[in-house]
Parts: sequence; C-alpha cells; structure tokens
Amino acid sequence: MSRPGFVLEVDDRTPPLIVHEGEGFRLEKFPTGTRVVYSPESLPGLRDVDGAIRQALDNPENSEPLRALLRPGMKLTIAFDDVSLPLPPMRRPDIRQRIIEQVLTMAAEAGVDDVQIIAALALHRRMMPSELQHALGERVYRSFAPDGLLYNHDAEDPDNLAFIGTTDQGEEVEINKRAAESDLLVYVNINIVPMDGGHKSVPIGLASYRSLRHHHNSHTMVHSRSFMDHTKSAMHHSAWRMGRLLKDHVKIFTVETTLNNNVFPAPYEFLNKREWEWSVRDQASMLAARRGLAIAPSKLKRRIFQNVQAPYGITGVHAGETEAVHEKTLANVFRQQAVEVQGQSDVLIMGVPYLGPYNVNAVMNPILATCMGLGYFFNSYRGQPLVRKGGAVILYHPVPYEFSQLHHPSYVDFFEEVLAESTDPATIEERFEKQYATDPWYIHLYRTSYAYHGVHPFYMWYWAAHAMDHVGDVVWVGADRRAVQRMGFRAASTLADALEMVSGTVGRSPSITYTHNPPHLVADVR
Amino acid sequence: MSPSSNKSPVRFVKETVQEVRMVARGWRWGRRPLVPRSAEPFQPAKQPTVFPTAWARTPIANAVRDVVQRVGLGPLLRSTVTPQVAGLDVLTKVKGPVLFVANHTSHLDTPLILCSLPDEWRRRTAVAAAADYFFDTWWRASGSAMVFNTFPIERRGGTLSATPGDLLDEGWSVVVFPEGTRSVDGWVSRFRMGAAWLAVEHNVPVIPIGIRGSYAAMPRGRGWPRPGRLPVRVRFGEPIWPAEGEAPRAFAPKIRDGVARLLDEDATTWWDATRRAVRGDTPDPTGEPVASWRRIWAQTAPPVEGRRRGAWK
Amino acid sequence: MMLALEMYRSLPRYIAARAVGGRIPGVLTGPAAPVRLVSREEPRPTGAGWARVKPILSGICGSDLGALFGQTSLYFSALVSMPFVPGHEVVGVLEDDCEDLPKGTRVVLDPVLACAARGVERCESCAGGHTNRCDRITVGHVSPGLQTGYCADTGGGWGGQLIAHRSQLHAVPEGLSDERAVLVEPLACAVHTARRAQVPDGGSVLVSGAGAVGLFATLAMRELTNAGRISVVAKHPRQRELAKAFGASDVLAPDEVPARVRRATQAFRLAPERGGEFLLGGVDVAIDAVGSKDSLGSVLRVTKAGGRVVLSGMPATGADLSPVWFRELDITGTYATAGREAFQTAFELAASAPLDGVVGGRYPLYRWREALDHAHSAGRLGTVKVAFDLRSSR
Repeated sequence: MSRPGFVLEVDDRTPPLIVHEGEGFRLEKFPTGTRVVYSPESLPGLRDVDGAIRQALDNPENSEPLRALLRPGMKLTIAFDDVSLPLPPMRRPDIRQRIIEQVLTMAAEAGVDDVQIIAALALHRRMMPSELQHALGERVYRSFAPDGLLYNHDAEDPDNLAFIGTTDQGEEVEINKRAAESDLLVYVNINIVPMDGGHKSVPIGLASYRSLRHHHNSHTMVHSRSFMDHTKSAMHHSAWRMGRLLKDHVKIFTVETTLNNNVFPAPYEFLNKREWEWSVRDQASMLAARRGLAIAPSKLKRRIFQNVQAPYGITGVHAGETEAVHEKTLANVFRQQAVEVQGQSDVLIMGVPYLGPYNVNAVMNPILATCMGLGYFFNSYRGQPLVRKGGAVILYHPVPYEFSQLHHPSYVDFFEEVLAESTDPATIEERFEKQYATDPWYIHLYRTSYAYHGVHPFYMWYWAAHAMDHVGDVVWVGADRRAVQRMGFRAASTLADALEMVSGTVGRSPSITYTHNPPHLVADVR
Repeated sequence: MSPSSNKSPVRFVKETVQEVRMVARGWRWGRRPLVPRSAEPFQPAKQPTVFPTAWARTPIANAVRDVVQRVGLGPLLRSTVTPQVAGLDVLTKVKGPVLFVANHTSHLDTPLILCSLPDEWRRRTAVAAAADYFFDTWWRASGSAMVFNTFPIERRGGTLSATPGDLLDEGWSVVVFPEGTRSVDGWVSRFRMGAAWLAVEHNVPVIPIGIRGSYAAMPRGRGWPRPGRLPVRVRFGEPIWPAEGEAPRAFAPKIRDGVARLLDEDATTWWDATRRAVRGDTPDPTGEPVASWRRIWAQTAPPVEGRRRGAWK
Repeated sequence: MMLALEMYRSLPRYIAARAVGGRIPGVLTGPAAPVRLVSREEPRPTGAGWARVKPILSGICGSDLGALFGQTSLYFSALVSMPFVPGHEVVGVLEDDCEDLPKGTRVVLDPVLACAARGVERCESCAGGHTNRCDRITVGHVSPGLQTGYCADTGGGWGGQLIAHRSQLHAVPEGLSDERAVLVEPLACAVHTARRAQVPDGGSVLVSGAGAVGLFATLAMRELTNAGRISVVAKHPRQRELAKAFGASDVLAPDEVPARVRRATQAFRLAPERGGEFLLGGVDVAIDAVGSKDSLGSVLRVTKAGGRVVLSGMPATGADLSPVWFRELDITGTYATAGREAFQTAFELAASAPLDGVVGGRYPLYRWREALDHAHSAGRLGTVKVAFDLRSSR
C-alpha cells in the first residue's frame, strides 16, 4: 500500500535531499527546521487497463454508452491531448493509444466511416510524426495519417475554424470547424495535474487565438488562485463558460485518465524514493548518475534526459459528460498528489527539472524555466500559496541562455526584445502581445513547422505573473546570471548565498519550505 | 568558469571525493540508517527480512565450509578447550535427517557439536541461529552462515520461519537449542516448543545432546574461552521418536527429559542415570532454587566425568 | 620646426600591417608602426587664401587607423602624397588673418582639398557644391591628397601646425568647447550620411556599428530625418548606452541582427545552406558604419527589397553582393561632407547633443603609441573618440 504524502521537518538525522535542476540534480543539505513536502507514494496502477477503458466506455458518467452514440453515416471526430502531456512521456503503449484503439474498434463495429483524429494543441507546436506514432500507436497512425485524417489542430487556419457564439461575458468561442460540425466529438485526455481536463480540453485545446485571448491574458492569470483549483481560477471560469456554451452545439464525449506518480524508470528509481530510505544500491546509482552527468557533454546529457520514458501506472479511466467525468478525475489526481501543509512560510524552495510541458525534445529556455518554477510549481497549491505574501522564492535551475530555434523562435525574440523593455506582464501585454500574435512569420512557423505560436511566450510569462505579484524576491541557484537578470531575477551559486540574498526580505532565520517535486504534488495549504 | 576547468580530471576527482564523502556522512555508511524524526510516523513497520542463506548450502559453499571447519574451527577449538565426546554410537542407529537438541550455555556449543559430529554428519548439518543476533548485520550473518551453516529463526515467538522444516525435508540435519538463548547461570532453563513441533511435523527423530562445562569455559559475556584448555563434555543420547499422532505439547517434555538424563548420565553413570530415570527422579537440570552465586559456583567447576571406577577398585 | 607624427612609405611595414592586421595591434602601435614622431619643417602658406592653423585637439578617425593597420584598400594609394602628417578632425586656432577671419579665430577644418584650395578652375562637382566629389584632388598648388591629413604639403592635425585654405575653414561659435568642436567634422559627415540615406517618413533604419561613425549617424538620423525605428548594432555596454542616448529605438548585439530585425519588421527569415541567415523583408535603410566584410554582409541581408544600404565606413572587400542584385538594393556611398550647410547643422548638433565625455581620451603627441592603441580598442574601453591634445605637446 502506498503511503500518503507528508511534510518532513529537516533535522540532524536527515540525509542530504535531492533537488532537481535542469538536466541534473544536486544533493542539498537544507537548514534544520526546513519543511520538505513529499507527494504521496505512487498509487498502484490499474491491473487491467483495457478492461477499465471498456468499462468506462460502456458505463459512462451521465451519458449514454459510447456504442449507443455511434451510428453509420455519422461524422465522428476524436481529439486528444498533445505532446505536452504526460511529463515525462509515457512508456509505450500510451494511454491515448489504448483508448483511441477501443473507440475506433467500436466505431468500426458500428459502421462509422467518417472519422478524423485531431491533436488538440491550441497554440502549441505541432506534433511530429514520430510523436504522433508514440502517442497513438502505429496502427492508428498508419490507418489515418497518410490520408490526412490524423492531423494537428491549426488555430490560425481561418477556413477550418467555426465561430460558435459568445458567452454571457462576451467571450468569443471559436473552435476547430471539423470538431464543431461533428455529430460526436470524443476527447481523450491525460490529466496529469488538476489544472488539465474538464472544459479546458475542448474549448481551449481546439480553440483559435481569437477565442484563447479571453482567458489567456495577464489579468485572468494574476487572478487565478490557483490554476490547480478550477473553482478559484479565473482562467478556468472562462473556459467553463465556453464549455457550457459549446455543449449545446456539439455532442462531446470526454474520456479522462489519471496517472500515478511512477515517474522515473530504472536506473533512476531512487528519484522516486524518500532519501533516508535509499538502499546502498540507490546511493550508488545516485553517485554514478551525478558523476556521469558531471563529465557528460551537454548534448549527451540532453539526450539521456529527453529519452526518459516513465513507467506510469493508470489510476483511473472515466468517460462521459465532461463535468461529471472531471469530478471523478480530479478526485483521482488529488488522491495521488495532494499533501496537507500547515501554514505558509517565508521562503519557498523549488527545484525545476529538465522538462516542462513546452520543451519536450528541446532545451528548457529561461522563459520556460520561469514558467515551470513560478507558474506550474508555484501554483501547485489549493487554498493559499506555500509562501507568504512578500516572501521569497528560491529556484534551482541552470537557466541556460539557450533557445530551440525550431520550437521556440518567438521566445528568443520575446527574451531579447520584450524582456529588455519590461518584465511587467500588463505592460508587456499592452505593448507587445498584439505584434507577436499577428507576426506572419511566427504564424507561418506555427502552421507549417514545429514552432509554438508567436504569442505563446506571453502566456508563459503571464503564468508566472501571479507568483511575481505575490512574492518579494526571486533568486535562482546555479543559474546563468545574464539570463536571469534579463528576467528581473537574481542568481546565486549556492543555497547559502541565496538565503543571504533574500535575508533583506525575509530576515536571517526565515521559515523555509521545499517542495520535493517531481513527482508532482499539490499542496493543500491550511 | 571555462569549460576546460569544468572538465579537468583533477577537479572531477576532487568533486567525486567530496560527493562520496557527503553521501557517506549523509547516509551513515557503516552505521545504522536513521529516519528523520518527522518521517517516523510514515515509516512502514519494518518487514522482518529473512537473510538469504541458501547460498551457504551450495556445493561450493559446502566444500569451503568443510575445509574451514576441519583445518580452522576444529584445531582452534581443540587448542582452546579440551572437548570430550561420548555417545556418538547412536548415530549409527539412525539415518539423517535428525534434529539435534542441546542445552545452551555458551557460544562454544555450536562449534562443539559440529566438531564432535562425524564428517558425513557434519557436512549435512545446519544450525538454527537467532535472527535478531546472528542475522542482524550482513557481515555477521554471512560469516556465521558460511562457517557454521546457520540459518535465521525468530526466537521471539510469532510464526516459525519455514526454513528449518524445509531443510529437514531436504535431508539436512538441524541443530536446535530449544532454550532460545544461552543460559544465564549455566543451568538449563525452559525449553520452547519449536523443536518438538519440528520433530512431529516432519517426523524426524530427536537426538538429545548434553553439554557440560562450556559455561565454565566460556560463559555469557566472554569473547574467548578461559585460558587453560578447560574440559568440555558433549554427550549424545538415544534418538527419541515422536509417536504416531503425538502432539508437540506431549512430545516436548520427552526431549527435555532426554537432555536432562544425558546431563545426569554424564555427571554420574549411565546405569545410575537410567535407574533414576525409571524411578522418575532424574535431577532437575534447572538446578535448585538456591542463591544465584551458589548456582553459578556449581556450574563454573570444571566438569568431572561420572564416577570413574577402577577396574580393580 | 615642429613636432609631428608622420606616416611614411615603408613596404615592409605595410606588408607587416597587412599581414598582422588588427590581430596583434600591439605590434603596429609598437615596433612595426608605419608612423614616426619627427621634428619637421612647419608647412608655410603657399598662396592667397591659405593660413596657418595651430591645432588644439585633433581626433583619431577610423580611416586613420585603417591606413595605419593596412586595412585600407590600395585604391587610395594614388590619392595621397607621402610622407604626410595624418589628422583631419581638427579644431585649431588661426595663426594668420585669413580673408574675413582674423588671426586667433577658433576654427574647425573641412579637410577636403578641393578645387578652390588647389587654385584650379572648379570642376563640375565643385561647381555644383559637392566639394567632396571633387575631381581635381591630385593636381594644383598642393601635392596630391584627398584631404588635409593625407597630403604631404599641408601638414595635418597630428602635428604642431598645418596650413588650411579659407574654403576649408569654419569659425567655431562662441561657447562651444574644444571637446565638442573637435567632433564637428565627424558630425558633419554624419549629417551628410543622414541626408544621403533618404529615409522615408517613419521608415525603419538599421545602423550597424556603434563607434563614432555609427553613433553620430544615429544622432543625425534621429535629429534630421523622420525615421521611425532606429536599431543600432552595438557590441559594448557603453556603446549601448550612448546609442540609446543618441536616439536609437533599440540596440542589438551583432549576432541578434537577423532575429531582431525580423521581429521589428515582421519579415520572413530564411537560412541558406551556407552563410548567414537573411530576411525577405527587412529595414528600409541600413547604414554600415563599420566597414567590415561581416557588417556589410549582414546589413545587405536584412534590408528589404528596394531598400537602401549606405556605406558610411570605408568599406572592406569580399561581402556577398547577391542581395544587392536579387533584392534590387540601392547602395549609397557617403564620403565627407558637401559644403558649408552640413557644417552649420553639425555646429548646432555639437552644441545641443549629449556629447559630454564623448572624447574619452586625450593624449599629448609623444604618447602616440598609447593613443593609437587606445583608439584601436576604443569600443571595448568605452571610448568613442580619442584625440591628440596638441597644446600640451608643444
């Protein structure tokens, strides 16, 4: 039986603890009294995943069984979460493949001919053929891709977007035309954090920029406390309004899945364990990994890390009407990730790993590192943030001054041009967002190459807005000084230095919390 | 930091040393791992892990042990004490596997029994040893498994591990000290049920062994036998078979009586002891309830062989 | 007799300079320098309109360094007369009355030795007011030499005295300090550059290089044209600050050029198999104020079709001209200044612009090696202009 998450208080018996930092990790001896938040141990996965899928499709929540919704001559569209999920990528077979194969089997049995499969990537980069094959499996890919029936959603293709209407708050809802005109839209999701899923799937994943800008802007992002709690997130409120409007126009059958915390495969299992329980073998693997990484050339390091595929177990499959399904899904996610923490602290320490949703198979550039630390990890709470208002955040990441020209062309320019002018999300939004969003070159790269949309770095920056608004000081340990300075942060070489630097804000003996993430966790701060 | 200095071998070695030292200190190499206080409530109850000893009964390990016992243990034992063995004839009357059951007063008992056994028996004999003491650390566990062919048993009640039974089924004879621990004053204490249960369950005979003088030679708390090559007596007794359908509870006293009789026999004569046994007044091996110094005094005297009668009196 | 730095003909030194180039500047300001400090005969006025000028400050120009370091095309070898005293950015004091200018007037020099100074009938260009395009710069009263500072007869700014013709002289207004006045000649060139660039209203401009030429061009563009966004390519921190102060909208590092220009102009960016990336689209006007092959190549690749590339520095050879043909670029040269009007504007700029501290090094003549060394790495050392202070040399 897996043990619940808990809060460790560092004492003199505590061994050094793992802190992730980009393509590597370090052992850190935290000051005595530091609180360390550990996620629950990985839950046991479902034994019979295929059976669970069948069960979910046949007995959906608040909906007729999928079989009953299929009929000959209908238009069926299947949309699925893109390459940004899960993290790290799942070892084959991917859960999306397993579900879609069953959906397609039922469709074939029901005599449905007109089927299209769409990667719901909103403004993310398009998925490469290899990535599509990994996510959907060779069978699905070979049956649909060559005929152009398996493709990436394009938020900038005016011919293939359909305007649905406006919500009572004036938000325009515009989504993929094929999806909008289908008799049935099946959405296959992977709910790795509580932020995903629900009405975030269709109204965001298949939307156009015109529709997205209503919830992806600095205002909603500052007012989302936090994204991990959709009832308190302005962004989710907007998406929910859109979803409810959309529901009246398109029949949506949602399939949501949840994963356990089994993130690190052999020989990195020690990263999944609590340090004081490491066996001699774990200690040896850790040392070997550390020393190997110290001499490995950076290209090799990147390859090693990007090749990590997690041996996830599936903790739940639910299907049916979106909101009913999502409720069950969230319960599963919180069962795996929620940890109760008593009260806030002065300093929050987070180790930013090598991978975020937006740099699969690419380097994590400074903006994504910031988004990962101050966006994802900082927002991983319910109730109130782990750090008090005006406190300090210390992040670990090398923050290399490096960008992928293939995936992140607009990030480079955002970093060089926009951040040089201002780091204030509202100012940035007002002065630059439009230019970037409409830049024909970015649009061209987004539509034809594998680039994130021109406006995407803005969203990343807005995402960190709540954290930047909340805390007084941000210091990066082990970071490239030039890169973090550009973003308005400071760099320190050790934790001691960082604590020294923030002592002006939080004093000499601050209370410290370190979130031991990954594996993912969500702090219930009381 | 230039890349060259970053990758310099000197630096690499230095950092490696630092990290190994950090891990060694953090994880208390060579000492017991500790759990942070706040993590203790979340620690799963320690699963009793059974130290694997099957390797110690592989042919290679057997061969090595044979050499170690013959050229190492035996001479060492004979150079520090003077073992005197009697009653080995009984082993010609039974075929293995058997259960050797002895009283237990000293660490000398195991090597004494093993070295007393004829080679063909010794090679097929394993020793039950307390899991919490002998199988506490890997080095002590593997050492004793290698030299004495020990296997772990839980002495604090609970479920009896499957090992001794399996060994009997595989044809190994097993040495068991039913007292579960070494005697505090050299006298016999309460016998536990384990040996009787094993004998009944696996239908093997019990060969009682009486050991005298090992308390005098090396009592509890000593790490080495007392100087002077003190005499230690080991006497093997007639095999005791559990009767058909006999309950362990009924069989256990017979084992204890067997050992008690041997101790009596060794101190007096076979004839006297037999007669006393028939009358039912074999002296109680637990000794009289007198002051503890008297109990220890009696046991620390070197054992003398039962009345040695001159051929011509 | 006067103390002067003299550049003389020396084949070995020229070859050494070519070979070593800018790589080991210490050699060229040290043992292999093609200049020497000498005592030589002061130049005497040769005719009507000529007067003696005692320099106060005399700037070290990029083209001077080019000549010293052997980077100048041999094209110019026919246009100079050796040995000469370099120095054409001069503020000095008149030693004689010169027509309407009384002795003791502070003057700056328009260095071009055109028809008027040479006492020949005016050529077509001079008649049209374009004295910088004069066709008679090798004939007449004085030895060949495109400018004062390249002519054996006139002397130059890097010496105790020179002679100048009335047509070259511009009186310095009261209240303009020497430090600012010495910048008037390069500013006038920048004014000329800004005029030649013909920036459309609101047009985007890229200035490659943030040395004196680039910075002054930025200043002149901002002050004199209706250019929209002016982007300046600068390497060093002090240059970045100054570029902003002089009116740049944004400052780029050399390796950012294609990306940032693309962003600013929303162009499309392509990467050929070899060579640098280029844009389809780009800036309306690009100014090469470095004169290196890389700089020219880079501005050619980011100028939009039909745009203009202005060569403000003395250009190097070897840049790929394909974009000129394919994108129908106008290449515009800009050399010195055309007449009095530019100087008047330059005086105004010199008075109003934030030029304090721009002359970042003043050296007496006898410390010429240090001075040249400083000038050669001026950008890195945060200096825009290094000048000889002739008064302390005498």
